[in-house]
Amino acid sequence: MSAITNSPDHGHGHGHDSALHHQFEDIGQQNESYIVGMWVFLSTEVMFFGALFFIYTLYRWNYQQDFYIAHEHLNVIMGAVNTTVLLFSSFTMVMAVQSAQLKKRGHVIGYLLMTIACACVFLIIKYFEYSSKLADHLYPGAGFATDAQAAFGEHAIEAGKVAVNMNHAQLFYSLYFGMTGLHAVHIIAGILVIGALIRLWFNNAKSVTLDFVPTEMVGLYWHFVDLVWIFLFPLFYLMPKPH
Amino acid sequence: MSSKTSTPHEHHIVSTGTYFVTLIALVVLMIATVAIAQVNLNAIGPFSGTVVNQVIALVIAVAKAMLVITVFMGVKWSTTLTKLWVASGFVTLILLFGILGDYVTRHYEHQSGWEKIEDGSLPRFTPDERTVPGPKSNDLNVKIRQ
Repeated sequence: MSAITNSPDHGHGHGHDSALHHQFEDIGQQNESYIVGMWVFLSTEVMFFGALFFIYTLYRWNYQQDFYIAHEHLNVIMGAVNTTVLLFSSFTMVMAVQSAQLKKRGHVIGYLLMTIACACVFLIIKYFEYSSKLADHLYPGAGFATDAQAAFGEHAIEAGKVAVNMNHAQLFYSLYFGMTGLHAVHIIAGILVIGALIRLWFNNAKSVTLDFVPTEMVGLYWHFVDLVWIFLFPLFYLMPKPH
Repeated sequence: MSSKTSTPHEHHIVSTGTYFVTLIALVVLMIATVAIAQVNLNAIGPFSGTVVNQVIALVIAVAKAMLVITVFMGVKWSTTLTKLWVASGFVTLILLFGILGDYVTRHYEHQSGWEKIEDGSLPRFTPDERTVPGPKSNDLNVKIRQ
């Protein structure tokens, strides 16, 4: 912190050990600014993912039968386990923030490490899901119709010989990989940000130890990633049978 | 921060119990949504079973989202200004979905082309094809539904 912060003209009575920056009246105002700033960012994220959810809605509406048959190749158990893992990681994250409020440094680091561990478990499960799709040639590409025919051929018979429009099935997998892939990128970014936060806590950096809000901001991001998955899971894995 | 009365700037420390109960509620809702998805529900009035199933799945998802936003993200205890910004993103999202009204009310359908191309491949044009004029276009690249 600069010497200006300590100038008696300010009259806030905060010295070197204060988390308060000199442009703010008090810590409450500063914290509110931080949180509002984080929510402005999350609003842009809502719109970013929102556009993709809109595309999903539109094509699902148009091609219900094809999307339903394409979705049956997704593994509901893996999806449900991943949902639970993310929900639990949100809990450990919020416990890290609570520990930061109570200034329990060891607890903060412990809970943050648990959050990262959950994120890694999520990605490992996602890896197995993606590799099984790749093995079945269920990914968008020039050879989709011929290569994925085997997977759908069997399935079409099971489903009462419903012909699958391969273009529409490909569209489903484009959306699946696009949306879950973008979500996975957010998970990876989360791991990096939480990792940086752990490093700061580990080094006893004043930027995080003096006030809990920097930890809270990372927490808000992590909960948002959980929030996106809460909608991705039922929309991709739990599609009802069209009548 | 020593004052007991709640001021806008005071930060609420939520108990571990509250967070744990929220986690349990979220997991229960997750199990419920998976369980209900295994059953093909009956139609209710004009809504088919598909719609009923989908609406229930989405209602559960919204309930889970509300729990995460209010408790885990602490919006329940946040200031009015924060709540305003939280709402802004989701209100914009609802406005975006208003575009669906356009798709529902306009009676146009796609011109053939998409359906006729070889399955699984993107349309590829040779330079010759590109210069040959196709069927007479109404400049909208759509035809009016009969």
